[in-house]
Amino acid sequence: MGFTERARRDGPVARGKRRLALVASVLALATSVVALPVMGGSAGATSFKGSITIATVAPFTGVDAALGPKYQAACLGATQAINASGGILGKQVNCKVVDTRGDPADAVPAVRQLYATTSNLALVIGCTSDEAATVVPIFGAHQTVSFCMTGQSEFDAVHFPYFFRLVPPDASDSVAMTQIAKRHGYKKIALAFGNDAGSQTFVTPALKALKRAGITVVSNQTLDMSATTFQTEAQAIVSAHPDAIMMEALGAAGVALLSEIYQLNGNKMIPTIGTSAMIDPVFFSGVTSGPIGVQNFISNFDADNPTVAVGGPAYPLYKKLILAQQGKVPGVPSFQGLLSANGTVHLYDGINLAALAMVMSGSTQGSKYKADILKIAAGGPGAITVSSYAQGLKALKAGKKIHYVGVGGSYKFDSYQTAFGPFEDDQYTANGTTVMVGSSLGYCNLTLCQAKL
Amino acid sequence: MSAILFYLATIVVYGAVDAMACLALNVEFGFAGLSNFGFIIFQSVGAYVAAVLSMGSWQKSNGGFQQYVLGWHLPWPLPWVGAAIAGGLLALPFVFLVGKRLRGDFAAVGLLVSAVLLNQLVNNFVPLFNGAAGISIVPAPFQGIWNPQGLGYQFAYGGVAVVLCVATYYLLRRVTESPYGRSLRAMRDNDVVADSLGKNIRLQRTSIMVLGGAIAGLSGAILVGFINLWAPGAWGYAETIVLFAAIIVGGAGNHKGAILGAILVPLGFEEVTRFIPPLSNPSLVPALEWVAIGLLIILFLWFRPDGILPERRRILSGAAPGFARSRPPVPVPLDGSGPDGDPDALINLGNLDSMDFRELLQLPPAPPDASPVIMRTEGLTRAFNGVTVVEGVSIEIQRGRLTGLIGPNGAGKSTTLAMLAGTLAPTGGRIVYEGSDITAVPSNRRATAGIVRTFQLASEFKKLTVLENLVSAIPGQSGDSLTGALRGRRHWGAEDRANIERAKEMLHGFGLSQYADTYAGGLSGGQRRLVEIMRALLAQPRLLLLDEPMAGVHPNLAHKIGDQLTRLVEAGMTIVMVEHELSIMDAFCDPVIVLAEGQVLAEGTMTELRAKEEVVEAYLVG
Amino acid sequence: MSVFLSSLGFGIISAAVLAIATVGFTMQFAVTNVLNLAYGSVMINSAFVTYFLNIHGHLNAWVALIGGVATGSVASYLLNRFIYTPFQRRNLAPITIVIVALGVDLCGTFGLQAIVGGSYFSYRQSLGREWHFLGMYFSTLQLTIIAIALGVMLAVAWLLRYTRLGKAMRATSANPNLARNSGVRTQWVISTTWLISGALAGLAGTVFAMNTGVFEATSAQLYIVLLLAAMFLGGPGEPYGAMLGAATIGIATELSAAFINPQYKMVIAFLILLGMLTFRPYGLFGSERTA
Repeated sequence: MGFTERARRDGPVARGKRRLALVASVLALATSVVALPVMGGSAGATSFKGSITIATVAPFTGVDAALGPKYQAACLGATQAINASGGILGKQVNCKVVDTRGDPADAVPAVRQLYATTSNLALVIGCTSDEAATVVPIFGAHQTVSFCMTGQSEFDAVHFPYFFRLVPPDASDSVAMTQIAKRHGYKKIALAFGNDAGSQTFVTPALKALKRAGITVVSNQTLDMSATTFQTEAQAIVSAHPDAIMMEALGAAGVALLSEIYQLNGNKMIPTIGTSAMIDPVFFSGVTSGPIGVQNFISNFDADNPTVAVGGPAYPLYKKLILAQQGKVPGVPSFQGLLSANGTVHLYDGINLAALAMVMSGSTQGSKYKADILKIAAGGPGAITVSSYAQGLKALKAGKKIHYVGVGGSYKFDSYQTAFGPFEDDQYTANGTTVMVGSSLGYCNLTLCQAKL
Repeated sequence: MSAILFYLATIVVYGAVDAMACLALNVEFGFAGLSNFGFIIFQSVGAYVAAVLSMGSWQKSNGGFQQYVLGWHLPWPLPWVGAAIAGGLLALPFVFLVGKRLRGDFAAVGLLVSAVLLNQLVNNFVPLFNGAAGISIVPAPFQGIWNPQGLGYQFAYGGVAVVLCVATYYLLRRVTESPYGRSLRAMRDNDVVADSLGKNIRLQRTSIMVLGGAIAGLSGAILVGFINLWAPGAWGYAETIVLFAAIIVGGAGNHKGAILGAILVPLGFEEVTRFIPPLSNPSLVPALEWVAIGLLIILFLWFRPDGILPERRRILSGAAPGFARSRPPVPVPLDGSGPDGDPDALINLGNLDSMDFRELLQLPPAPPDASPVIMRTEGLTRAFNGVTVVEGVSIEIQRGRLTGLIGPNGAGKSTTLAMLAGTLAPTGGRIVYEGSDITAVPSNRRATAGIVRTFQLASEFKKLTVLENLVSAIPGQSGDSLTGALRGRRHWGAEDRANIERAKEMLHGFGLSQYADTYAGGLSGGQRRLVEIMRALLAQPRLLLLDEPMAGVHPNLAHKIGDQLTRLVEAGMTIVMVEHELSIMDAFCDPVIVLAEGQVLAEGTMTELRAKEEVVEAYLVG
Repeated sequence: MSVFLSSLGFGIISAAVLAIATVGFTMQFAVTNVLNLAYGSVMINSAFVTYFLNIHGHLNAWVALIGGVATGSVASYLLNRFIYTPFQRRNLAPITIVIVALGVDLCGTFGLQAIVGGSYFSYRQSLGREWHFLGMYFSTLQLTIIAIALGVMLAVAWLLRYTRLGKAMRATSANPNLARNSGVRTQWVISTTWLISGALAGLAGTVFAMNTGVFEATSAQLYIVLLLAAMFLGGPGEPYGAMLGAATIGIATELSAAFINPQYKMVIAFLILLGMLTFRPYGLFGSERTA
């Protein structure tokens, strides 16, 4: 190396001091370059005495950066109502963000640091497919209940006692998409899924479900999420002349693919069915601000989604709470768009379930309240149906048994503590919210949906 | 409280893993001068291999939700051993990039690109390591009998990681603080010159990449055993840049610097910034972290290029370390300035007169039946891009003579010399040395056979001390190989002390003893010339090829050097010298070969040549 | 056949963008011997300047383009003047400059991300109507990009061949010391070259962003691989080689995407680059510098 050699004439003491100064200045640079601009915009996480903390462990940066904010919105919304009802067991609840950057190796120290700095941690939400496998065992070891947003199939096969999941396995998501295709009468389908962990799990179940439904797969494209253009994939899809496309590609890739298909198809959009993860305000604003435009997009795009009980009793309060967080979570272009987003809906319900279980068991320790989550979700004879924390709290105080039916409906947990509701076919509206089209698809398992055509 | 201990255990494991990676990269970059921009793939392959070796076959394991190769379900520590082997083996394909004389930055770019390529391949080719989802639920070592999530386990794990890191430190120190380490640093400072002194550059680079790769692989294994998942998201090519930043900050060429860098940059940086709440704009903190790492690299390279703990200067002369260290490395004239302000004029080579070169250099006596011609060429030709620079040169070099090679600029003198030494491959013709055809023999093997050259441009190993420059050239050192170095000082120490004494004696002869522990890069032009000549002599040449050894040297010194060259020839050495200073040729060279426009114009003594009209026209007058 | 032709069409567009970028990149290498790995960050920063002038400054995209080109030009000039040149004066090994360039790239790319955030952006204008030639599809925008690229190539060829500056550049590239001794103001030549090549980086970045439709701060990070492959194929420091290299790489990647697998389309570029570095580091037509 041609690093220059310079004469230094001082003794070891002066040298030692300068080295110490250099070490200090490296750390100072680290903190100042990073911290100074941040200080402007952040109030810092305030930690009240006698409070408890819910942590959102999820990617807030990286390819899956769109996921974290949806969950954080749920946390802020749910805890606002909980705190307004006097908190949990007299303690105020606050939300803490832990950014895993979608890197499993980064997630471990991040979670360890969370535990080291948070003595009052009562619940963890988030944990997507990016990091679930590394962090779920840690949550288990600390006996912390976690509501995770991973559709990964390993959690259908390995039992983790503190792991709860209110979203369907990706496989049943694929079945629901196929059902939507069938309802529309599509005969030829093209698949386009990202090469990331979360998206690839859809492909094999989708191929099986489509075959069973007698629908031909005319093209099956895997999208390299690091690419910036997908012309070849788009061309392959367009020239296969599908009736519709089934897709999941988060981030820029999905937007780029749809724009390029639109362009190569002579400025016409091919009808597209997305997974529930494609109900996402960032995706919506990305596509609609491009050449496709709003009208074109909303009339040609469907997504399967676990049912949001828009007419149900839990919905009005939920809507009010989520919209009240407008501006408090960066990275969300439209809070309207969050209302039916999978992560926001089900983590809101998850927090309410956990909070009521804490009240019921009289403890914020996961080991004590875990069992009561299952009881509150199941209800059982004589249980009063409640749809919010305040209602549940009142009933519990009156010594009654309760059954929580939330925004996502009623939850029935299986032996792996996974619970999910019926599916529906959603379309976007012009302002980025979604509406259900047609009737519910019913519950979908790994092979078929309840509602027949 | 226990949560803090868990965090601490995590930091210990990550710190040990980062430190091992930095130590390995530092040996490659800081010691051997190999800019391995693809370093992260070596760590990564170790992690993957450790994972798949410790897991059962994918069809049977965990419901078959992930695909991967191998799946041998081996007990600890075999997966870790496998990881180290895999990391080492991965280095072998890159020999094609680094083993040849490819510009360092081009090779680095090749490695960077390889890292990106492999990440894409692993990401998209699912059957290998389960694609983008990565391999999860990797069993922790001993998890069946000891709960991996227990505090005891976590600290034991951290302890094992630290022990392995310390072992790495001592292992690498053993390698670098040996004659072999000296050769590595010589290669780092100037690979062409090291090659011409008989170092096998390809082998050295390969060995070091294999060694570094094995350590990187082991560090990956330690990490994956702890976090139980490995995926392409964890080893983007940019992770290598972070490790480079660590080494630049800590101090390249200093093992402690590498450890310090690992603690400051990958570990300290990430952990310190983790305490900043990511609120205002979620991508702001990570983005600024990268900016800070970029700034660290630039600022350190500008203001503190040697890092916080600079490379240690090795004191070989036996002077007390404190004394030697306190002496300024910048040379001062011996006694004030010379008559025309040039200190070189005063360098005294007088000590040499009392020395017996034959004994000092351990020159082998010429075989009694040896032919009087030590080397001859037949139609030697070299073209660059179709332009012929040397054409059909056929010469004979007489044993035990000082042959001069002269000619106008562009006559092809240096090119011819380079072909004789093997630095350049001829495009035509052949070279015969001691009766055998060596046209295809690489330069390092020619050097071991006794053909040693010097260079026209300064070619000292800048960040080796003068004494190290000299000792590095001595052939046949038993500590000058990876295996020799690993056997330790007991194996090579006595021999190395003897070598150092020889070098000191040579240094004394050339009147430069007081610079023994000075970095050669800090010497004056004339002193560097002398170092180069001494170094070439210690390589025990039978045929010494000197490329303008007196260029830029004060005439007083030049003549002193010439006198000693004559004495060397008297002691039995054969010398070929390219020179354009005619007075030097007049005084010392016989015979003299005149080259012009790439061809031999004439040959004879200077007196004979002066009589030839065509020579005078072509060169002597012009 | 139709697959071949349509992907050939995509290849021509990729090649057009790549050619503009590679010519600038290789010119920088030619006159200063620097592998400017921060080139991609200059491209994307320029693209964002154009984008913000267009969207928030309400300028016509082609007017805004001038802003992007100027950004690339000035940024590259400053980069060379205040970072690379001072480092080079210290006679450091080329690898040190490359490490510095990587540091600059991190600062450029992630500094931009700190400002614009981690989300992605797209141009609102439609890509124009679709044109079909011989089974190839082009939008009006893409035809414009191809025309720009051809124009740039002709202008560079004219510059190198017929102007004093171009001759001085070639002389400086071949041997800076000899050029300086023969009266070429090499410092001025180097500065001008960085201004021009920077302008090409700005132009390339902008058309790259327009053509991809969706872009973010880190979009150009991997683009450097294509640039390097194109440059090494044609020979480092050879502008004509760069044009040919860009054409080859652009078309080869798209054809391999169509016939092998789009996920592996970068692989062909990687393999070409590694092959060139291993067997002919001075390019198919480049010459080994004897220094």
